Amino acid sequence: MDRIRILLSRCAALFTARRENAELDEELQAHIDLAIEEHRRQGLLEPEARTAALRAFGGVTQTKERYREQRGVPLVEQFARDLRFALRQLLNSPAFTLVALLTLALGVGANTVVFSLINGLLLRPLSVPDAGRLAVLRIEEGGPTPNYAFCTPFFRSLEKRHDVFANVFAFERDLLQVRGHSGSENIPGQLVSGQFFQALETPPLLGRYLTPQDDQHGGSPAGLAVVISEAFWNSWFNRAPDVVGRKLVIANTPFTVVGVMPRRFIGADPMQRPEIFAPLSADPIIDAPRNHIDDGIHAWWINVMGQLKPGVSLDQANAELRTISDPILHEAGADARYVADEEKSHFHFAAEPGSRGYTFARTLFRKPLVAMFAMCGGILLLACLNLASLLMARGAARKRELATRLALGAARGRLIRQLLTESLLLAVLGTAAGLAVAPVVSHSLAAMLLNGSDGLQLDTSIDLRIFGFAALIAVVSAVLIGLIPALQATAGNLSDHIKEGQHARQGQERRRILPQVLLASEVAIAVMLLVCAGLLTTSLTRLFKSGVGFDPQGLVNIAFSMDKQQLDGDALMQLYRQLGEGLSRQPGVKSVSFQFIVPLSHVGWNGSYATPEGGTHLIFLNSVGPDYFRTMRIPVFTGREFSWNDTRASGLKMILNQAAAKQFFPNGNALGQQVLNPREKTAYEVVAVVGNSKYRDMSAPAPPIGYVPMMQDEQPKPSLTAVVRTDGPQAPLAAAARLLAAKLVPSIPAPLMTTMDDVLNESVSAERMMALLAVFFAGCALLVTGIGLYGTLSYATARRTSEIGIRMALGARRAGVVAMVFKENAAVAAAGSGAGLIASVLLSRALASFLYETSPRDPWVLGEAVAALTGIACAASLVPALRAAWIEPMQALRME
Amino acid sequence: MGEKKPDVLQGTLDLMVLKTLEAMGPLHGYGIARRIEQVSGDTVSLNQGTIYPALLRLKQRGWIKASWGISESNRRAKFYALTRTGQKQIEKETENWARIAATMARFLAPTT
Repeated sequence: MDRIRILLSRCAALFTARRENAELDEELQAHIDLAIEEHRRQGLLEPEARTAALRAFGGVTQTKERYREQRGVPLVEQFARDLRFALRQLLNSPAFTLVALLTLALGVGANTVVFSLINGLLLRPLSVPDAGRLAVLRIEEGGPTPNYAFCTPFFRSLEKRHDVFANVFAFERDLLQVRGHSGSENIPGQLVSGQFFQALETPPLLGRYLTPQDDQHGGSPAGLAVVISEAFWNSWFNRAPDVVGRKLVIANTPFTVVGVMPRRFIGADPMQRPEIFAPLSADPIIDAPRNHIDDGIHAWWINVMGQLKPGVSLDQANAELRTISDPILHEAGADARYVADEEKSHFHFAAEPGSRGYTFARTLFRKPLVAMFAMCGGILLLACLNLASLLMARGAARKRELATRLALGAARGRLIRQLLTESLLLAVLGTAAGLAVAPVVSHSLAAMLLNGSDGLQLDTSIDLRIFGFAALIAVVSAVLIGLIPALQATAGNLSDHIKEGQHARQGQERRRILPQVLLASEVAIAVMLLVCAGLLTTSLTRLFKSGVGFDPQGLVNIAFSMDKQQLDGDALMQLYRQLGEGLSRQPGVKSVSFQFIVPLSHVGWNGSYATPEGGTHLIFLNSVGPDYFRTMRIPVFTGREFSWNDTRASGLKMILNQAAAKQFFPNGNALGQQVLNPREKTAYEVVAVVGNSKYRDMSAPAPPIGYVPMMQDEQPKPSLTAVVRTDGPQAPLAAAARLLAAKLVPSIPAPLMTTMDDVLNESVSAERMMALLAVFFAGCALLVTGIGLYGTLSYATARRTSEIGIRMALGARRAGVVAMVFKENAAVAAAGSGAGLIASVLLSRALASFLYETSPRDPWVLGEAVAALTGIACAASLVPALRAAWIEPMQALRME
Repeated sequence: MGEKKPDVLQGTLDLMVLKTLEAMGPLHGYGIARRIEQVSGDTVSLNQGTIYPALLRLKQRGWIKASWGISESNRRAKFYALTRTGQKQIEKETENWARIAATMARFLAPTT
């Protein structure tokens, strides 16, 4: 009871401190007045009476202090006082404070940004009720990387078994062609199997979700059904309350909307935002003319996850999966050779934790993100080291003040606490500033990172984990910044410090090892960041300089989706020809052709071909239109381009690039020769040999490629991309293509335009972003290190004023003084650069996989990094050195 | 610095203040300090200032209350008075103190 009352009254006192202090003053004043009066009544004179009164009272200040301690909550009050003091200290040196806050905000901001990307991609669990029970299934075939893509037969067999899994489900990202009021539109969606929604356990906002009954050929007895997202309900149906039961025409087939899922539900792939969920078994309709289901074990197109039964562990699930792997392999109806091969390589299914869902992008972006995180960590460490050394230099300057306070009875712990409060204040303010900008930056970084992968989304919003992370680095950096300087500043012999003052003897002090080590490590980290930036940019420029084999400037791609319209065969080719002619009439257009695969867009098509003599080779393929090589500016060495006359009836033709020609015909002329397709038993006549060009991505060398005429393409209703060479404005082409398509094939969705430059940039988006970040960080590191070197040296030099004065009075030259001051930083820069170089060489191997034709130990890059740091160290030493050189000996000595 | 007098034992000061207020009625800090000095007959060293934290402690426990008043010499001063809980507390504290004193006496008595 008493305790609570005391605590309450103490807490209350926190808020009334000012008034109570005044009251206490008055009360004590009254006490002394009363005492003086009494003494005077006893006959003492005024001064003696006052002295006697004060003596009897004891220390007035001590009494007040003890009274205040008794009154309030001392720790809180002390902290508040420290905070006010720290604030005043910081405001007293605005330049230092600004630098400190900016560097910290940069360090913390960068870390938070990259952490929020990592959080969104790698850490955040799916927002479903029981994510912990989800598991991702994979196939182990003895290869170096497990396989996460399943074929339909394997999945359907797995789906039937419920020994360890309550539900097993498959999903696949898809574009659904939905008919709207003004033509068709491609809507991002997912094909999902029957148990998908049961496993994810999220109740629908309206209607019902899809069930196993919906996931069968032709749908449930009531017909084909889809579930839509809340976003799609908004945009397409304008939130109509009667949306359940309405029809959506997808791929020319009516589907019934049976439910709406709430906004937080995004399925099992955290990087997708599907707007329509359609049953997996509707694939032959939705993906027509393709049919992944009939393709059986040749179509590896779905990802599979399971929901463990309550109480079943992952180990149990894995054990069960092992026992059922073999029967399922045999059930799948594969040919005997395939089954034998798989058995030999220990084919089996396996499960891994799936609370975070499955996205292929994880494997894509994990490494760049971790590399970026390391860079951010480096910059934060650098910022902390920098502040620590600046604070230490300042602490040295404040040593006398601190020593005096120690002598007056302040406890060392109390002083350290106060100094730490200062660094904590810095850290918290810096973190707050960093956090404030983090969401915007991480959003745009995510957009940049995912630039090349259309339709992918990364949720980088701030959650508790990010907040905790930021708080953690704030505290850690506060301790990093503050503890060493605080310990240093309060250590040592008191009376020495007080006596020292502005003495000439302080030369030694600067030679203490710790500040030097801090600064040198700062330089080392800066060197590492510079090396990192240098390597990445060198690699990127080499990548761009290496060329792609065609001229991307002034090239525009316009993609047409022809798979759901009526025409096929020669009639479709006629349509493409009309589209091409329409496009070539646009202003500025030089030539137009068509291609099936857009180079460098990370998709590919390959096949095994042979010469009549034997030699089978795997080559990449593309199906292209007439005038393709002229449009792309790929040189035609011998032979001719395809023409509209190369139809199916006119005999199969093929054009090889040099690499392919050399592979098939190492010692001879390829022109006019035959290339065979052993599987289809067909023969192609080589009609030209053209220059090499890159195919799937920029960092791989140009592979052997075979081109076939689009008119002879085997696949039904090919969706081709027009490639347009233009020297006019590119933007109007999109509108022109849309009008043209609307006139000639009104049923297809609006064609999509991208420039080839964009394709190139997107194909290296991760590399580009890393290089960009690395350069930015390296620039910051240089600046911060420069400030650190400058700040420390100028503090130290200012404190050596009288020493330098004596030296000069004794005959030292100004040049000598400049050299002496310079030497201080030179030693630090040299040691730091050396350490940084060694560390870079050791660590750069980790970067090797990001580099294109660039050695991680590129001597130029290493040299440039050291040169840059030397430059910045010189610049940082110049002003303090000159200032030292202009010291007037007489003035300096008078300061003693 | 003159001869050393024993310091006031922790906790005894509180009881002294309470007893003073019981005997004298409402009194300001100086009055309490003087009264304690007089009663103890200058046998203990008391910095007069130390009674203020003690007064605050008693006030926080709710045993005494304070109000501004006018001193005998017409000066504004803070007057302290016992509360009802304080009155009751004196008995308990006195018993406590007597018990401790008795215990101490037994330790200090010459062993026979």
